[in-house]
Amino acid sequence: MTDPLARTMPPGLELVSSRRFIEPTVDAWLPLRPGDRPRVTAGQSVVPGIPLADRLRDARLIDVPARPGGKPGDRWSAAPAARGGEGSRSPHPEGEILFETGGRWRIAIGEQHEAVHSPIEGIVREVRPGVGLVIRSAGSALWGVLALGDAARGRLEIATGADGELRPRSLDVGSAGAILVVGARIDAEALTRARAMGIRGVIVATLPGKDRRDYLASEARQRSSLHQVPAFGVLVLHGSQRRPIAEGAMRLLERLAGREVAIVGTPPALVFDPQGVPPEVDPPDMIHVRSGPLAGRRGQWAGFAGLRRFSGGTHLEAALVRFGEDAPIAMPIGDLERLT
Amino acid sequence: MSGEARAFYAMDLGVATTAVALVGRVAGRLRLLGALSLPAGAPADAVLAALTARFVASDPLLAAALQTESSDRWPRLTARSTPPVGLAVIAATERSLEPLVAAGQRTGWRVRSGSAERLDSLALSSLLLDRDVRTILVGAGEPAAADERNALGSLAALAAAAASRRPELTVILTGAMAEQAPRFAAAPDRPGEVLLGPAATAGAPPGTALRELLGRARGGADESRPAFALGVRALAAALDRRVEGIEIGLDGGVRVQAGPGRTDEPGNLQWSVHASGGLAPIEPDEASIDGVLAWSTVRLDRHRTRDRLRDLRLLPWGHVAGEGAAFRLAAARAAVARLVAATPELSALPPADLLVVSGGAFAVAPGPAIALAVADVVRRAGAVQLAYDHARLLAPLGTIGAAPQRLAVVADLASDLLVPLGSVIMPQGMRAGRSGGRLVVHGTAGSSELDLLPGGLELVDLPPGETAVAEFEFRDTVRLGTRGRHFAIDVAGGLGGLLVDLRDVPLRLPDRPDRRRELLAAWQGALWIGGEP
Repeated sequence: MTDPLARTMPPGLELVSSRRFIEPTVDAWLPLRPGDRPRVTAGQSVVPGIPLADRLRDARLIDVPARPGGKPGDRWSAAPAARGGEGSRSPHPEGEILFETGGRWRIAIGEQHEAVHSPIEGIVREVRPGVGLVIRSAGSALWGVLALGDAARGRLEIATGADGELRPRSLDVGSAGAILVVGARIDAEALTRARAMGIRGVIVATLPGKDRRDYLASEARQRSSLHQVPAFGVLVLHGSQRRPIAEGAMRLLERLAGREVAIVGTPPALVFDPQGVPPEVDPPDMIHVRSGPLAGRRGQWAGFAGLRRFSGGTHLEAALVRFGEDAPIAMPIGDLERLT
Repeated sequence: MSGEARAFYAMDLGVATTAVALVGRVAGRLRLLGALSLPAGAPADAVLAALTARFVASDPLLAAALQTESSDRWPRLTARSTPPVGLAVIAATERSLEPLVAAGQRTGWRVRSGSAERLDSLALSSLLLDRDVRTILVGAGEPAAADERNALGSLAALAAAAASRRPELTVILTGAMAEQAPRFAAAPDRPGEVLLGPAATAGAPPGTALRELLGRARGGADESRPAFALGVRALAAALDRRVEGIEIGLDGGVRVQAGPGRTDEPGNLQWSVHASGGLAPIEPDEASIDGVLAWSTVRLDRHRTRDRLRDLRLLPWGHVAGEGAAFRLAAARAAVARLVAATPELSALPPADLLVVSGGAFAVAPGPAIALAVADVVRRAGAVQLAYDHARLLAPLGTIGAAPQRLAVVADLASDLLVPLGSVIMPQGMRAGRSGGRLVVHGTAGSSELDLLPGGLELVDLPPGETAVAEFEFRDTVRLGTRGRHFAIDVAGGLGGLLVDLRDVPLRLPDRPDRRRELLAAWQGALWIGGEP
């Protein structure tokens, strides 16, 4: 009744939560709203930069007589006769059928579009007008916990160490077009400045809620302007309270430096081409610290310790973990994880 | 499950916690032999194996008698918590929308809503087409009100269009909207169901019928919160007492009130599941932050509180040693407060004799601190015994399909499955500023006397298993179940002993954060030895 994998791992280690460190592929979701026009079809191969959809920036409703054959989600365009005296040079009104009632269609329509480009190479698995589309990536994925902004693509640059912090004045215009790894945390001002300098994205261990909110407000102001803003994505790897990038993740990012990578938002992940980046396989007794004062470090499993008393008068199931040459220390099992 | 099984496992597979228990037949009756809780993510089989190994090591003779070598063939009672899923609720008017939303919220859905009165068709379509929405509820009164009638056709057309684009959606049409069902004619390849339901206010009490339908539409047969409710009802019947149950998990909470019933019929049962009763909301709003700050003994500003709540949601078992445990208990208090506020109909029922708390939210704190946390938030004048479902058995036992067998198993295990936290006596109406009277506790080891100081929290040492009579003589008339000045109350001991809670009902705390924290830390410090503020 035990986990078959447990036979190859030290006793007790199977009680530690496990998750996949790198997914061989990811189904990236791009939400669409009623009126947005998909420009790809299911089964189609896509490469980075190919337009996936035209997003309506000023969607509104119109009411037109229904015609035979249309159904919700279909595209609608005005027949030439319906365009009155505007002539053939007038813009061709086009929209999406929402529903029919009383012999009339409600159409989502608008004039201003912005193109959404694919950040990754892959195959379109599903297209649902007004709902979203799914692309199965050709590349592998490193999970984050949160992504803000757009899906974005660029070459990966390491700007700071795993426990570093990037200040606004440290940003360099030479990083335009890059996705920067910026260490433990970043503030909203640095994010806003990075976007303004043409940087394509940021990968960070943690983003405090206040900076998240300030950045999103700044982005909303940018989007309300008439011109299209370049794609800029933020991938948060671990959470909200400051901590370094986990050792395993940092080692992978260092190996990806200089290569083209992409940030996707749903699910939040960094997508990369695994060619030339062979996976590092953890030894069977390797354990990673995911929370607590030692978050980010990795050590060796030294045994299940049972129920232990920890600070604050708490009694928790614990494990012994050895860091380097130091003596093993007892840590709550909830602070640990296995990466497979 | 066979009634004659030598032993069985009970498993409560939560979103954050995997809790397993081993129950065996010893000397003709079922006994709890061990329990283990670990963060979710470890394979359940591995957790069962670890629990069994511990049991074998601690009692090899009993283990041999139960034949643990064949433990992989023992029955398993499994309850699972599934994260709340999205329910989009739409109606013609705000007035008709309100009871529909309430029904959704009381059955554990994550509700998003809109009315044709407030939103245009584009916004309503976007709401229904959102990927997080799994079920749509379109409702109207029965019969439709005058201000609804004109909009029913277009609202049904809009919902039918969304359902045709998302055939996986379950559609529920209630009240007069059920007449629009032909628009939703099920295509042969449409996996989503179309259900017709009663109006939002139908049933006794109003709303019951729709809540039953929504509950069925949401959960599987082994869903843990409905099972917890059935477990509490069986406990009420087994103990012949009124029992209240409160379970707080990461993604939601449930509050249950169950009566003992009679020999020929089960006791009455009322319960309500709320996504808002979860330990850590998906996106903490300002009210959630206020709620946690109000109970926090840890010095935190709003931003850091929000960050900690977000991280608590990401890693519910992360950083729970030290200060993290105190923060987690503050979040648990806030969750109980939200659940109590969301269930006024249960607060209006007669007070329970026994209040049972359960769920991963309380897994880290010691028993006495849990007792205080509950007394802080569930404030009803009277006397109540508190207990903790420490092995998280009630939900798995609630999954036993046959009610008589469920009752028999719960009755057999009643003395094992609950850890007594203590008794709380909470008078209401004491006048501030002077001695409010005198308490004499007559226990088996003698009597002790206490001066009753209004606004205070008095602790009387009364260990688990002990009983006593608490004799109160108040200077003024107070409410303690009934109104009066002299009371003699039978009390039972527990990890927290007897808590004589002379604080205000409801509790009033200082407005200044530092003074409030000091006061909360002082109360908690007395019951959480070694705890950090």
